[in-house]
Amino acid sequence: MSAGGRESIMQFLEKLAAWAQTDRTAIVYGEERLRYAELEARSNAFAHWLLRTLGDDRSPVLLYGHKELALPACMFGALKAGRGYVPVDTSFPPERVRQIVEELRPALIVDLCGLGLEDGRVLSAGELEEILHADSEPVPPSFWIRPEQAAYILFTSGSTGRAKGVQVSAGNIAAFLEGVAPWFDSETENGVILNEISYSFDVSVCALYYGLGHGMLLYTLDRQTLSDPKRLFEALAASGVTLWVSTPSLAELCVPSERFSRALLPRVERFVFCGEVLTEKLSRQMLERFPDVQLINAYGPTEATVLVTAARVTEELLAEGPSVPIGAPFSPVRAWIAGPEGEELPEGEEGELLLAGDCVSPGYLFRPELNARAFFTDPVSGKRGYRTGDLCFIKNGLVYYCGRLDGQVKLNGFRVELEDVENNLVKLPNIARAAVLPVLTDGKPSSLTAFVLLEAPDGLSSLKRTQRLRAALGELVPSYMIPRRIVAVDAFPLNTNGKIDKKALAALL
Amino acid sequence: MTDKIIDILTDISGADEGEILADTELFEEGVLDSFGLVQLVVALEGEGYKLDLAELDRSQVSTPAKIAQLLQ
Repeated sequence: MSAGGRESIMQFLEKLAAWAQTDRTAIVYGEERLRYAELEARSNAFAHWLLRTLGDDRSPVLLYGHKELALPACMFGALKAGRGYVPVDTSFPPERVRQIVEELRPALIVDLCGLGLEDGRVLSAGELEEILHADSEPVPPSFWIRPEQAAYILFTSGSTGRAKGVQVSAGNIAAFLEGVAPWFDSETENGVILNEISYSFDVSVCALYYGLGHGMLLYTLDRQTLSDPKRLFEALAASGVTLWVSTPSLAELCVPSERFSRALLPRVERFVFCGEVLTEKLSRQMLERFPDVQLINAYGPTEATVLVTAARVTEELLAEGPSVPIGAPFSPVRAWIAGPEGEELPEGEEGELLLAGDCVSPGYLFRPELNARAFFTDPVSGKRGYRTGDLCFIKNGLVYYCGRLDGQVKLNGFRVELEDVENNLVKLPNIARAAVLPVLTDGKPSSLTAFVLLEAPDGLSSLKRTQRLRAALGELVPSYMIPRRIVAVDAFPLNTNGKIDKKALAALL
Repeated sequence: MTDKIIDILTDISGADEGEILADTELFEEGVLDSFGLVQLVVALEGEGYKLDLAELDRSQVSTPAKIAQLLQ
C-alpha cells in the first residue's frame, strides 16, 4: 500500500523480512550483535505469542528498557500483532512508571531491567528470552496495519507533574520516512547509522525505521560508553558510522578533543543534529573539523513525528545569521508562523510555529483539553495541525527558532517542562517552594538549576543538600530532569503578581 | 595546582567554599558528570592546561589530586 510514493509501515516490515534473507548485521550493542534474520525471527515469535496470549486485547505493550537488543524485536512484533508499543526508558523511576501504567492500562509490561512492579501483566527479561527464541513459527502472522493504527506512544514531561503520552500512528511514521528520505538517502553500501538515543525518545525512530528499513547497521552507544570519554572515542573509532544522527550535545562532548576529526570517522557522510538547539559555535567547529561532510540541522516535535524541517548548514548560511536555522519544511508538511490571534504572519515576524500534515499525531492520550488546545484542522491543507509552542520566524523560506512560549526546555535532546520538576520538588520533605531555571551555555540550555525555599534549616552543606535532594527527586522523575545544582534561598524574589520572579533569579545563576 | 582545580570544580558544581577537598571522589559525590567533565577540560584549557578528553579514563580524574597529578 503506498500513497504518492509514500512507503507504508507494511512495506517497511516487508523490507525487514527481505533484509533477513541476507547475512547482514542489524544492530551492534556492546559486544553483542543481532542479525536481520534474528530480528525477523524474534519479532515473528513475539507477534505469535502476543496473539496467542492476549487474544482480542488490543491495548498497547509497555516496554521498560533502554537500548537492549530485545526491544526492536518486541516493537516490530507488537506491530505485527496489531498492537502499539510504549517504550519507557530505565531513567524513569518506578513511581513515574506506575503513573504511566495506571493511565495506559497496557495489555503487557515487558520488564527488561528489574523494575519490580507487582503486576500480573509483567513479563521478565528471562521469560521474554524464551519467547523470542521459540523458533517453531518462523513466519509472521497474517497482519494488516492501517495508517491510522497506533504504532507507539512516547511519554514526555508534562507541566502538571505527570508524564503525558504522545500517540504516533503508522501513517505518521510513513509520513516521517517520506520527509527525511532526501536528507538521509545515500548510495553507500553497508551504511552504519549511530544509535545514540534511548528507544523511548523519538530521535531513535531515525535509526529504528529509516536505518533498519535501509539495511543499515545500527551502532549503539550504551550509557556506560556515553559517560566515559575514552570509551566513547574508542567506540566511535570502531563504529564505521556513515550517518551520524544525534543531539548536538553528543558532539559537544567530543569537540574539546582534537581527535574528533575525519581520521576518527573516515566513513561519515553527514551529521544530522536534532532534538535541541544547534549553536553557531558548534556548527563552525564541525565545518572546520569535517569540511567535506554534510552538516544538517533538523527539527521536529514528537507530536509531528520526529523531524519536519531541515537545513544544510554551510559557512554561507551561518554568515547570513542571526542563528542556525532549523530549516525548510519537508515537502509533505505545511509550516507557518501565527500571531496571537492565530493569523498567519509574514516573513520576518516572530510568532508561534504551526505545522500541518500527515505527520501530525492523533493527540495526547486521555488529555482532551490539552488536545483541543494543541491540535486543529488546517483550513488550507485540510490536514491535522499542531501548535508547537515554539517561537520562530521565517527568513528566505527557512525557519529560525527563537525560544519557547512556555516553560519547556530541551536538555540534551530531552523535553523538560520546568513546572514538572518544580511540582515534584515541592513533594519532597522540607521544601516549601521551588523554581527551576535552565543554565545557558552559548545560548543553549545545558543543565538545570533549582532554587528551593526550605521549611526549616537543614544544616547541610550545598553539595550534601544537592546530593540528597537529587537522590530524592530521582525517585519521582527521570534522571534527565534532575537539576545539576540545587540552591537554597532565604526568600524568593517576587514580581508584582506575587509570583516568583524568574528573571531576578536568573541573575543568580 | 590542586587549589586551582578545586576552585574550578567549586564553580562548576555550586559547592560551598572548602567543601571539595583534594581527595573528594568527584563522580561519587555528584561534583562531576560527563558534561561537568567537559566544562572542567574547557576551563583548564582556558588556564593553559591541556587534557585530551579522548584519552581520559574516569579513574584518572576521579579526585582533584589525581587531576593535578595528570597535569604535572
